[in-house]
Amino acid sequence: MLQRKRWIFAMIAILPTLVIFACVRLYPIADTLRLSLHKWDILSKKKPFIGLANFSELLGDHLFQDALINTTIIAFGVLIITIPTALVVAALIFHRTRSRFASFYETSIFIPYVVSLVPAAMAWKWIFDARLGPLNFLLSNLGIAPQSWLFDPVLSVICVIILCSWQALGYAVLIYLVGFKSLPVSLFEAIKLDGASGPQSFWYLSIPMLKPITLYVSVVTLVSGFNVYAQAFVLASDSQGAPGRLVRVLVLDMLENSFRNYRVGYAASEAVVLLVIVLILTLIQFSLLREKGRP
Amino acid sequence: MITMWKLEAYTGGSWSMARAALIGTALGAGLFVSLSAARAQTITVWSGYPEMAPFYEHVADGLKASHPDLHVKVEAIDLREHEKRIALALTSDQAGATIIELSGSTAHRYLENDLLPAAPNDVSTFVNDPKNFDAFFANDASKDKIVYAVPLFRGQGSLYYNTEMFAKAGLTGPPKTMEEYNDYAKKLTQRDASGKPTVSGWSMRLSGGGQGIAEKFWTILFQYGGSVLEPAANGKWKANFANEAGRKTLKQYLDNVYISKNVTVDMPADAEAFERGQTAMFMRESWVIGDIASKAPTLKYATAPLPIGSIALPTNLYVKGNGKDAKAAWDFAMATNSPENLVWLLDKVGWLPNRSGVDYSAVTKGQPAFAAFVDYPKGYKFFTLPSIGPIDEVLTRLAAQLTAAYGNPAIAGNDAAIDAVLKTAADETNNILRRESLLAE
Repeated sequence: MLQRKRWIFAMIAILPTLVIFACVRLYPIADTLRLSLHKWDILSKKKPFIGLANFSELLGDHLFQDALINTTIIAFGVLIITIPTALVVAALIFHRTRSRFASFYETSIFIPYVVSLVPAAMAWKWIFDARLGPLNFLLSNLGIAPQSWLFDPVLSVICVIILCSWQALGYAVLIYLVGFKSLPVSLFEAIKLDGASGPQSFWYLSIPMLKPITLYVSVVTLVSGFNVYAQAFVLASDSQGAPGRLVRVLVLDMLENSFRNYRVGYAASEAVVLLVIVLILTLIQFSLLREKGRP
Repeated sequence: MITMWKLEAYTGGSWSMARAALIGTALGAGLFVSLSAARAQTITVWSGYPEMAPFYEHVADGLKASHPDLHVKVEAIDLREHEKRIALALTSDQAGATIIELSGSTAHRYLENDLLPAAPNDVSTFVNDPKNFDAFFANDASKDKIVYAVPLFRGQGSLYYNTEMFAKAGLTGPPKTMEEYNDYAKKLTQRDASGKPTVSGWSMRLSGGGQGIAEKFWTILFQYGGSVLEPAANGKWKANFANEAGRKTLKQYLDNVYISKNVTVDMPADAEAFERGQTAMFMRESWVIGDIASKAPTLKYATAPLPIGSIALPTNLYVKGNGKDAKAAWDFAMATNSPENLVWLLDKVGWLPNRSGVDYSAVTKGQPAFAAFVDYPKGYKFFTLPSIGPIDEVLTRLAAQLTAAYGNPAIAGNDAAIDAVLKTAADETNNILRRESLLAE
């Protein structure tokens, strides 16, 4: 009886949160799934059911394919750069915890995460500028030919990866630092007594024990990587005065299809594809890291 | 701490009076604010051109005499974001009245779905009067002979050229044929010791977001007798650029970028580059005149009509709203077309007003650069974007194809490769038209 009352109390307590979650998360997802099977131009009251026609059209859409490839490269590029870098940086900062500059290091790394995206992207745009940018100036001094960073199809994607990684690093380092601080000191003392060096204890102890943190950070980084939009938009688009190649990414393609081409059903089918990709990748990450990662 | 009752005890009855006075004042102020709010009327102007904000504020100032309680809120943002907010806002109800600046071709979808109301009779009479507007502009603001908007200004292209650079290159006047454009660009390009261009001879629209790339391509295509879309019977359309005119156009772009190297994809471009002396010539609308006046007033430049004709993209003012607010909004839209305001628009902003019968000579005489836009040669032709639903998608997708082509040196000088690019792009355009049952088979 007591257990039942507790259960009812728990349900009542959690109900407001569940209702809000259902309204702002579950309903939009369900509606997106529904819309992906319809033809809707956002203006008309008619939304004819067209089955999987939107999905079959996606297969032959070169802009969608470009967007999918670019987004995947950017998401994995950011993941590959951010996770190892964040782990090493967090280890170095943790190693210097007692230094009076420790908080300065943490703040310096975290600032890009909280700084407003648009001015930050504008600053990077200047850095990557082919004519006036300091990056090409530096390369020229090293005897390397200046590059069209923001126009070359490959380099422009790399620019987006660099900008996204720069932004994501601060958050990843912060989470890793929390992880480092929660590791049991006794184990480090034991491995030190066994004669392990600093790098060895990092490799054989810290990294395995931080796998749950790595799982969380990598999932968050990958999901946000797949949602990349503003970085690509600010770096290249709307730049009539400063040349820039628009790196087509999935979210940008969806927005264009929704509000420029008035094809909301088609954009919804893109969103469903993105949802499926992110879900599959998250499941793979969980299966790779979860069981083995438990300390 | 002295609490209120203690204070009352110290001051006796005078505190009660003071409190009553305070409450009375607060209530009075609240009542005044409420009454003022009830009396004041707010209308909002949505513009897709930030440089137009001062114009609408100027019109609002002029309306104060006849509408003392009218408050006009001007919200001018980037065109592409403006189009997005319209798509979102018009499908949902909103309070008050909004004046929406929109091109006739884009407004077509909204009119088809009854999302914008027809203009009142007095507005309709004003727009349909041939003394006020050429039939081209009146038709653009109408659908099925019903007027939905007040025409305001148009985007029309001309050549801007730096007269000092022309003189230095030994050129005495603007190019008159598209072949001359290539020769002039070659002579005007300034290069460093290695031959790399430092100042482009002709700034072409090679990159950036949006459909502007396709519109600029269409402008050059038009000089060769082509068009992105060609009308057929029964309101159907088909792509018209996978042909000789299209080949000449794309070839001209690629020759300038990769063969003559008069311009590169990574060079500063457009109005900003022209104002900074980083390019010798480029094609653009009349707003650049106002932009140069404010950003580079010492620049020595002139304008010239294009060889055959230009795009004319009319922008109109639509009203979304009901009742008194809508009446005030239509009054505002009509006020934008007063001769005084239109002369102000041309003088201070630079966009070309559409209304006829207004004396613009005070501005055009003072600023000779306007001559190319208003005193064009006899037989000069104009084209506009067709008012069909998928026009934005057609141009956006064509722009993506063109950007890829402009960045591909392998197809420069190769007619077969150029034809293949154009055929792929034209097939895509026709597929969009077919999907929307608009393709002329």
